[in-house]
Amino acid sequence: MPLLNARIERPRLIIDINRIPGLDRIELLPAYIRMGALVRQEEALRSPVVRKYSAGVAAALAWVANPVVRSRGTVIGNLVTNSPGAELPAVAIALGAEFVLQYPDRVETLAATDLLGMNKKLPRGAMVTHVLWPCRTGPAGFYEVARREGHAPVVSAMVSESQGDWRVALSGVCATGLSSPTMARVFARQFPRVPNNVELADALAADLTDPPFGDLHSSARYRVDVAPIVSQRAAERMSLRASAA
Amino acid sequence: MTEAPDTIEDLDAPIDVSMTVDGARVAAAVRPRYLLSDLLRELGVGGVHVACGHGVCGACTVAVDGVAVRACLMLAVQADGAVVQSVASLPALEGCSPDQDGLTPLQAAFRRHHALQCGFCTPGLLVSTALFLARPGLARPGLVRPSAAAPGRDDILDHLNGHLCRCSGYANIIAAIESVLA
Repeated sequence: MPLLNARIERPRLIIDINRIPGLDRIELLPAYIRMGALVRQEEALRSPVVRKYSAGVAAALAWVANPVVRSRGTVIGNLVTNSPGAELPAVAIALGAEFVLQYPDRVETLAATDLLGMNKKLPRGAMVTHVLWPCRTGPAGFYEVARREGHAPVVSAMVSESQGDWRVALSGVCATGLSSPTMARVFARQFPRVPNNVELADALAADLTDPPFGDLHSSARYRVDVAPIVSQRAAERMSLRASAA
Repeated sequence: MTEAPDTIEDLDAPIDVSMTVDGARVAAAVRPRYLLSDLLRELGVGGVHVACGHGVCGACTVAVDGVAVRACLMLAVQADGAVVQSVASLPALEGCSPDQDGLTPLQAAFRRHHALQCGFCTPGLLVSTALFLARPGLARPGLVRPSAAAPGRDDILDHLNGHLCRCSGYANIIAAIESVLA
């Protein structure tokens, strides 16, 4: 809607899906949490199922905008806009989320990496009806630096651990800038315990073969420097969650 | 079932909508592109302030079917059949009658703490704060806090993220909300 108000997007047709029944459900399946396209960010954030089985999603959602915007904004809406500045696309790639696409005559499931990131577009004639989050029972943490709280982050990080499997999702340290859809940085590493910023910086350095893009919000150098610190703060919040649970 | 329109002109044709606005039934024919905020202003709902027009400032916040929303981020046609409440419905949103000065507890707290200067942001702030108090948010790193616990300062700050006050009265706004929670 903000893009429409600013006349950046001038769509010929908008289809309002708000009255389609059933799409607002969060369901716990044996290996996944299945969220419909009408699940609001605030509902997902408050959902005990999401908090327990996908703490990384809940942790990230707490940083999206503010409660009033989250009460109408949907999880899938945030994802499919594929904005490099948004919190969730990087998280979806890191956690191995999948999307259910409904065509007029068939249903298809696509991995997040096939739908999100640089130069990725939604297939024509399809609607994303559900997102599948693989169940992860371990703790997760999220942190970001932004120009103003509640606004798109300069750099954000999600750290999630489940049964020894660590995932770190970073946004804002990408090889291309905010003006084009970019790839979120994701790396999976083994850490014996909650990693500190030196270990995260080492892991990042190995991953950052192409330097990130600087823009008017911050330089490339700042993004590289701040990424391990943001990651560590996310990891610290993860330990907070783990000890409280 | 009408035939699917296939020209831009057809797609822009006004659509009949009806809704309840601050307790009154209203009907209007609106173009599909028309924003709820613009319709409400046209209907004379003075408590809907349009400032940024893209969901950042919070001045146009109203309750739609009991949920706080940005009227500028919703099309008028999407509110067809809905119950829309602006700051004029504050007693109903807070669930209590006004005092002898005609103020709700939240309004009285705003006055007591001088939580407004120019007042432009106030109507939206009062609507969303009334709903925040009815269903407190979960602040970061609020994942450690049980949702049933009383909201704290972090929750208030998270809530206020959605409202710009350029007179910079935030300290007094926070004090006013804290006083209602106490």
